[in-house]
Amino acid sequence: MKTLSRLAMAFAALAALVLTVPRPNASLVLAASAPAVSLNTANAGPRALEDTTEKAVARDYATAWQAMAEALDQNRADLLSGNFIGAAKDKLTATIEEQQKSGLHQRILDQGHQVDLVFYSPEGSAIEVHDRARLQLQLLDGSKVIHSEDATVHYVALLTAAENAWKVRVLQAVPSF
Amino acid sequence: MREPKPRCNQKAFASEDIENVCKFGAMTAVALLLLCCFAIATHASELNIPATVLAGSGLTIPSSGSGSATLYVSGPGTAIKRKVQLGQAIQLSGGDLQNAGRYVISLDGDSATLFVTAGAVQAMAFLARPSRVPADTPNVISGTAFVFDRYQNLVMQPQPVKFELSVNGETVDRIATTKDGVAYAKLDSSKKEGAAQFTASSGSASVRRVVQEVASNPCNIRMSAEREKNGILVRTDPIRDCAGNPVPDGTIVTFTSTDSQGKSTVDARLKRGIAEAQLPPSNNATISVASGVVVGNEIQWRGER
Repeated sequence: MKTLSRLAMAFAALAALVLTVPRPNASLVLAASAPAVSLNTANAGPRALEDTTEKAVARDYATAWQAMAEALDQNRADLLSGNFIGAAKDKLTATIEEQQKSGLHQRILDQGHQVDLVFYSPEGSAIEVHDRARLQLQLLDGSKVIHSEDATVHYVALLTAAENAWKVRVLQAVPSF
Repeated sequence: MREPKPRCNQKAFASEDIENVCKFGAMTAVALLLLCCFAIATHASELNIPATVLAGSGLTIPSSGSGSATLYVSGPGTAIKRKVQLGQAIQLSGGDLQNAGRYVISLDGDSATLFVTAGAVQAMAFLARPSRVPADTPNVISGTAFVFDRYQNLVMQPQPVKFELSVNGETVDRIATTKDGVAYAKLDSSKKEGAAQFTASSGSASVRRVVQEVASNPCNIRMSAEREKNGILVRTDPIRDCAGNPVPDGTIVTFTSTDSQGKSTVDARLKRGIAEAQLPPSNNATISVASGVVVGNEIQWRGER
């Protein structure tokens, strides 16, 4: 009996300790860092990819995902301007406007991207990538979680050189590559 | 020895009390079963949706049960929250599903995903480089085409794209097939200079760009020299590239005179296809002419100071 009660006390103490340890808040994680992007350029062409371009594409694509996650969570289209352009920006802005009307928002917990660079245009102004994104996706109505899933989503993304960065012009999920 | 427990179908225990208890139990079980069926019927709304839908074509989702529920649709450009009646077909319009991508549809606790795919090619983004190019040069003009449907969705299915370069009635074309919405081609510039019409077309989409083809490097340079009051006047013949196109005005031509006093160099710009310059007087000089990497004829000048 004594042993049982000691065990129970030990478990209670352990549980209390676990509960008191601060846990990372998902939205803070999103705001704090860009997701990991692993870029494979072995199949890039027809133009050869320069080292500096490769680094810039990985950096700017990761930043775009971070901005998109924050914009869809906070319903703030202004967060998209630095990283999105053209159709991608228009569609994300429309999503945010619709979410605002419906009281919905999305939470994307980004667990990393396996990106294959599949096209680099001859004149060097456009890049297309295939992205296997590992995401935890949540659709929320206010604070109520409507849908939650862990998924690997395949995206085709088109990036174009604009100002001093690579901006996402098309971001389209596809069933497979 | 233990006495066996009474069972409902055993006449040996068919006293009235036991019968009543058995009947009550059976009725309760049936009622519970009916209640469960009713609960399932009123709330069951397992989503029956296709895996893919064509952009802009809309969707009908059958639902079962009764009562109302909330439908959620989340996808690119779409965020719908709508009250629906269970047991009736739920309509999503073409406008609700016009952007290609992944959609989550949630109804009364059940969720499903579907993909909207792009329709036929109706628009194109066309990158043509460079805007100014030397004539008669191989693989110097590049064109990249991205094909979209009417909703600005990238068309992933392979599509033929025709690249056509036309200048002064001379036309060159090439057909490439898109891969993941993109096709490209490299073309030679024409032999004759002029404003080339560079067109990419696929389906009902066609985009035109203009590429200015200019004369290439001079093919050869021929000059003559004559005495002038204050020196030697040198002048080229009209300078053309190897295809016979006049080299553009403004091109630099360098004249050099070398004699016992040293070397004199004068840069002159081509004007109406001809360059001319005045060199210092000399009675024994070697005069040469060049433009870029092309060297012209040489003149041994004999004259008085």
